[in-house]
Amino acid sequence: MGNFFSLVQNENMKIYRRVRTWVMLGILVVVNLVIPLLFSMVDSEGATSIWDSVILSSTFTFFLCTIFSVIIAADSVAGEFSWGTIKLLLIRPWSRSKILLSKYVSVILFSLLCTVLLTGVSLLVSSLLFSGSADSNMFTPGKSGLVFTLQYILCDYVNLFITVAIAFMLSTVFRAGGLAIGLALFIMFTKGIFMTLFSPERYTWAKYLIFTHMDLTSYLQSDVGPGGITLGFSLAVLAVYYIVFMAISWYVFKKRDVAA
Amino acid sequence: MQHEPVVRLEGVTKKVSSKTLVENVTLDIPPGQVFGFLGPNGAGKTTTIRMMVGLTSISQGDIKICGYSIKEHFETAVSNVGAIVENPEMYKFLTGYQNLRHFARMMTGITEARIQEVVGLVGLNNRIHDKVKTYSLGMRQRLGVAQAILHRPKLLILDEPTNGLDPQGIRELRDYLRLLCHEEGTTVFVSSHLLSEMELMCDSVAIIQNGRLIDVRSLKDRSADSQSAAIETGFLVDDPKKALSILEGAALQDSMITLKITRDEIAETNARLVQAGIKVYGIHTVTRSLEEQFLEMTGGDQIG
Ligand SMILES: Nc1ncnc2c1ncn2[C@@H]1O[C@H](COP(=O)(O)OP(=O)(O)OP(=O)(O)O)[C@@H](O)[C@H]1O
Ligand SMILES: [Mg+2]
Repeated sequence: MGNFFSLVQNENMKIYRRVRTWVMLGILVVVNLVIPLLFSMVDSEGATSIWDSVILSSTFTFFLCTIFSVIIAADSVAGEFSWGTIKLLLIRPWSRSKILLSKYVSVILFSLLCTVLLTGVSLLVSSLLFSGSADSNMFTPGKSGLVFTLQYILCDYVNLFITVAIAFMLSTVFRAGGLAIGLALFIMFTKGIFMTLFSPERYTWAKYLIFTHMDLTSYLQSDVGPGGITLGFSLAVLAVYYIVFMAISWYVFKKRDVAA
Repeated sequence: MQHEPVVRLEGVTKKVSSKTLVENVTLDIPPGQVFGFLGPNGAGKTTTIRMMVGLTSISQGDIKICGYSIKEHFETAVSNVGAIVENPEMYKFLTGYQNLRHFARMMTGITEARIQEVVGLVGLNNRIHDKVKTYSLGMRQRLGVAQAILHRPKLLILDEPTNGLDPQGIRELRDYLRLLCHEEGTTVFVSSHLLSEMELMCDSVAIIQNGRLIDVRSLKDRSADSQSAAIETGFLVDDPKKALSILEGAALQDSMITLKITRDEIAETNARLVQAGIKVYGIHTVTRSLEEQFLEMTGGDQIG
């Protein structure tokens, strides 16, 4: 019965036919052009390497990338409810699970597009502006700049991926895009505070908190995180949270009575 | 086979917390009919329709569409259905055409030619490539009808489809629904409280009030019994009092003399009045409209 790909195509159409999507992508490109430029003006010695520039600009712009992905995720389900189009969407010969999956896939595709765009632009601009080969203080000695940068961006993406899952769940559960965006961004910006308040060094239970594990970049410097946790442990905790978020989203979406 | 109902509601009940919105509704909708679903505001029409298309769960009972339970075989059951539930909300940032493409992709076997055909049918040719946010209510309603009939469903469910349409649009919709029904054998289930509209459009109606089905009746046989049956007839005369005294079984209604007589008796009565020197200004057939019957049945005012 039909082709799942056409559902994803529909969801993509609803993302990319909107002006705001292109505004967001435009902002992402511009910011990734400007930050290496600014950085090159400050860098008087000309010793900075490409990778330093890429990593520095991505630490800024990944915030934007996450915010934009969260906005798309939050609107994906909640938008259908607030527009009233959910009534037309759910009376097609498709199970609700598949419809929700198509929405989730389109959100993930958007976040990947943002990430590739961000990495691509900042790599391009940085390679034009910087040629220095100074040993970076950011890198682990002995690692190539390219590998480190890619790993760094992968860690950032994991962070984004979890934040987007939270936004997607909130959007499905509360059907309110604003609330989902607000809460997801709140978690994104305050997880540092939670980490300092509830450090696994002080409380053993804190190592089961999601906040402790969302930022994996610390594992690029050392194998053991705060309180003796390891990368494997962090990934396992994130996976459990992720599965729970998805299970809640799917359960609620399937069971929900769609009324005006 | 022919008379296997397209939709079967079997003791359908909808409860939300402790409130019962629809109570034990059992209804068979035969194929190839325009079937009206009447009820005052808040009667439970939209709630019933939501259950029929699987938007809300059914608390008790089951609904079968073309023999498939909407609970157990949702996808098969709903593939026979096209619907508008309440207002036809569309993606405002897409054009009408993109909206139709969107829904066409979700169903199998809808060609580009079919989309064009449907656009023509609902008369949106000139505006189909405009964004839906620039559409008027009636145009959105037309687009709603277009998405509902795109896949030639066996059952078309329309919740207050004439809402927002101009007389021309209502007329076209009515003609089109009749055409669909009689040429393609589509069963049309329309809910409305526009009774005169329903009277013109429907073959049968079900009347629901406070979540309970109170009557199901056919509207077709009303015209069949015209020859010999007694018809309520009104005479407009200059001296109603005198007329009343001559005619037995007559009543005075809004300065009109009414009585229930057959066709031949109408002529006789007229002759008697004229012979008695009463001037007859007019003779009318007093049909009790569906509206009057409906108000009588539902008791008029209380919103349940
Ligand atoms: N989610 C809900 N929770 C509680 N009550 C509800 C809910 N949805 C509808 N109702 C109630 O159910 C009743 C039936 O509503 P419904 O929308 O089915 O009426 P309707 O026949 O379509 O009326 P209208 O002609 O105004 O469209 C109303 O009394 C309404 O208040
Ligand atoms: Mg209604």
